[in-house]
Amino acid sequence: MIQVRDLTKHYSHHGRRVAALERVSLRIDEGTIFGIIGRSGAGKSTLIRCLNLLERPDSGEVRIGDDALTAYSERQLQQRRQRIGMVFQHFNLLRSRTVAANVRFPLELAGELDAAQMDARVDELLALVGLQDHQHKRPAQLSGGQKQRVGIARALANRPDVLLCDEATSALDPETTDSILALLADINRQLRLTIVLITHDMRVIRQLCDEVAVLDHGRVVEQGRVIDVLLQPQHAVTQSLLAETGLVQGALQGQWRERIGTPVLKLTFVGEPALQPVLDKVGREAGLRVNLLAGTLSEIKATPFGQLLAGVVASDVAVSALPDIFAREGVRCEVL
Amino acid sequence: MTDFDWNLLLAVDWPEIGEATLDTLTMLGVSLLATVALGLPLGVLLCVTAPGQLRARPRLYAVLSLLVNVLRSLPFVILLIVLIPLTLLLVGTSIGVAGAIVPLVVGAVPFFGRLVENVLREVDRGVIEASQAMGARLPQIVLKVLLPEALPGLIGAATVTAVALVGYTAMSGVIGGGGLGDLAVRYGYQRFQTEVMVVTVALLLLLVQLLQSAGDRLVRRCRFD
Repeated sequence: MIQVRDLTKHYSHHGRRVAALERVSLRIDEGTIFGIIGRSGAGKSTLIRCLNLLERPDSGEVRIGDDALTAYSERQLQQRRQRIGMVFQHFNLLRSRTVAANVRFPLELAGELDAAQMDARVDELLALVGLQDHQHKRPAQLSGGQKQRVGIARALANRPDVLLCDEATSALDPETTDSILALLADINRQLRLTIVLITHDMRVIRQLCDEVAVLDHGRVVEQGRVIDVLLQPQHAVTQSLLAETGLVQGALQGQWRERIGTPVLKLTFVGEPALQPVLDKVGREAGLRVNLLAGTLSEIKATPFGQLLAGVVASDVAVSALPDIFAREGVRCEVL
Repeated sequence: MTDFDWNLLLAVDWPEIGEATLDTLTMLGVSLLATVALGLPLGVLLCVTAPGQLRARPRLYAVLSLLVNVLRSLPFVILLIVLIPLTLLLVGTSIGVAGAIVPLVVGAVPFFGRLVENVLREVDRGVIEASQAMGARLPQIVLKVLLPEALPGLIGAATVTAVALVGYTAMSGVIGGGGLGDLAVRYGYQRFQTEVMVVTVALLLLLVQLLQSAGDRLVRRCRFD
């Protein structure tokens, strides 16, 4: 488990004190994939670098398991960091080394294995990320996705208990991003590895993460299970980040209502109901005439969900009774 | 030069030219080796102790940097003369090939050190950060990251230094340093034997060309793509 308590960090910028982190507290359970999302300048990058103390916070505490990293000396930190993997946006591979030698690098630093053991471990890691055939190439000969696979293999070399991902997919095209996210999900499952990632891309959070914290101006403004935060975003920053993903937004609905002239329902389907003709069924029973306004069907970490915005005229029941009727079918209904 | 008598070339004392060439090569080889041996650590020290770098020591850096600048701003001819006592102390003579090597090294080390500092600073900060994230200690970062990643640039710096050293060896002829420069001064300048001057200059030019193309080839061979 990772515990972050009251982490605060300021920079001085042209003589002015700028807050990068303002009393940030997080609790990340073992084996979860925890996403930190925010716009650029929100403090994500500082936050993830404070987790392995690449940057020293001004105050606050970072614990990984039983290790209070913020109380460690530089030498103790160097030891501990060998078991905290980190993956970078721009891969940061050694250009002078081959793929295999890059993966071997952290093993050499740790100096715990002999040459044969290191080679065996490198083979194992390259197989895990699917790069056996490229082991003799140099980074310059690889595609972005392949480079990130090397970065991931390297980060896993010393069997870390935490993997930190610093915008790991931001430099990749959408398809490659999907394959890297799938690889990370796979690693999380196979190795029960805790993953902490920062991103500005809500899609990464939706596809990969179990939990999410939204960072804005150095503060955590919203935090919780991804499915809750995505479907019921509370904070304006979260809502605007979600707007880019096509999820139905509360903020947008007000303007429509007056012009539509009927009550508007926001229906949220999570899991099995998303795949069933619930609206049709309720519509027939309650004599609804439906005017579909907007809708999405998507997945949050393999859980299907859908959202519909619909104007309704109900002839057989009161509109106010609809939430209960939908709730019986496992669908959340809000009358807007 | 239009009425230069090419037959004079036949009269040139070729064995002496050969000997002088060997002397030049010896001076160059020994001083280049010593320069790299001393200048590489100096460059690493400059790089890591500079403000904002891996092991920032602003005062130490300021002192080293000043020393390097002082040595680099002295004209080499002056350095040659100023260093005579030190040379006598170290190698027992201030003339000949042996006498030239001390001032050559003293002149070239700050030059090469500064080049090394700049080359090392070009190494991608992200890669250094990644190695820190993996728990690398400073010596590991220097030996396993900075120097290998900067290898093409370091070879380039050594090539530039070697070419500069060729010029310095020629200049050391002024204080009786031996080699092609010495020959050019004694025969070409003091005895007006232009043909000797022409031959030595041609040989020095050839040497510089060879060094540069060898350096370029090495850089190309160890580039990482």
